[in-house]
Amino acid sequence: MYGWIWRHLPGNAWVKAFISLVLIMAVVYVLFQYVFPWAEPLLPFNDVTVDNQ
Amino acid sequence: MRAVVRTVSELCITAGTLIVLLVVYVLFWTGVRADGAMEHQIDLLQDQWARSSARPSASGGDAAAGPEEPAPYTYGRPFALMYIPRLGFTWNKPVLEGTGTGVLKKGLGHYARTAQLGQKGNFAVAGHRRTYGDPFKDFPKLRRGDAVVLTDGLTWFTYRIDRGPYKTVPSDVEVIDAVPRKSGYTRAGRYLTLTTCDPEWGHSHRLIVWAHLDSTQPVEAGKPRALRR
Repeated sequence: MYGWIWRHLPGNAWVKAFISLVLIMAVVYVLFQYVFPWAEPLLPFNDVTVDNQ
Repeated sequence: MRAVVRTVSELCITAGTLIVLLVVYVLFWTGVRADGAMEHQIDLLQDQWARSSARPSASGGDAAAGPEEPAPYTYGRPFALMYIPRLGFTWNKPVLEGTGTGVLKKGLGHYARTAQLGQKGNFAVAGHRRTYGDPFKDFPKLRRGDAVVLTDGLTWFTYRIDRGPYKTVPSDVEVIDAVPRKSGYTRAGRYLTLTTCDPEWGHSHRLIVWAHLDSTQPVEAGKPRALRR
């Protein structure tokens, strides 16, 4: 999977490494900004009220 | 065969990384976000108070009559600041109207159907034990006699805790009644209830403390004794 991505990135090893870094940062950003805020209320840390609203 | 093994191990590493990132998000990043959000709410409050104190207010003179009826709160908006010296001398958090998930990310939440600050009845507030800035992390340290001080920009309200943390189940809505049955109060009065979750990282129970209104003073009179070092 990762090998396949690496082979399909353009440029020499340095360019590939740079593009990989950008891709990783993009993935982390999407996770922190959209995926985790969605998933976090499914975890039990949010229930602090007694009427569950 | 080799490709299959490689793909499976890559997937395992990916899943592990995802879990680590989620833990970082929950433990660290929600706190960073909540600190910023709470600062912002406190700024909003202070702006609001600065603007309203510029106008001459009618509440100046009659200290003996007690706090007057405040305007209804708006959902999701801050209306007071809470100080609990037991949780730390610098511990102060904004109190917002409502107890929705989005509200509790920005501060403590006031149960909308309970009394207003300083009024007759039960002023009930919920807060996170963990995550989102850990506002009520040290909740079990609260003891009888501890002060819970709130201000709405005009008046300081000093509540005194009467009962140390009381553990109950999440469906026990009685604890925020006007006169909670388990609290030991027998007559109607001006009470305060704080709720959070228990155990620290779980949601099977709730921790409750009850307090009564001990004293009030206008903000012009300076900080109440409980907040002075």
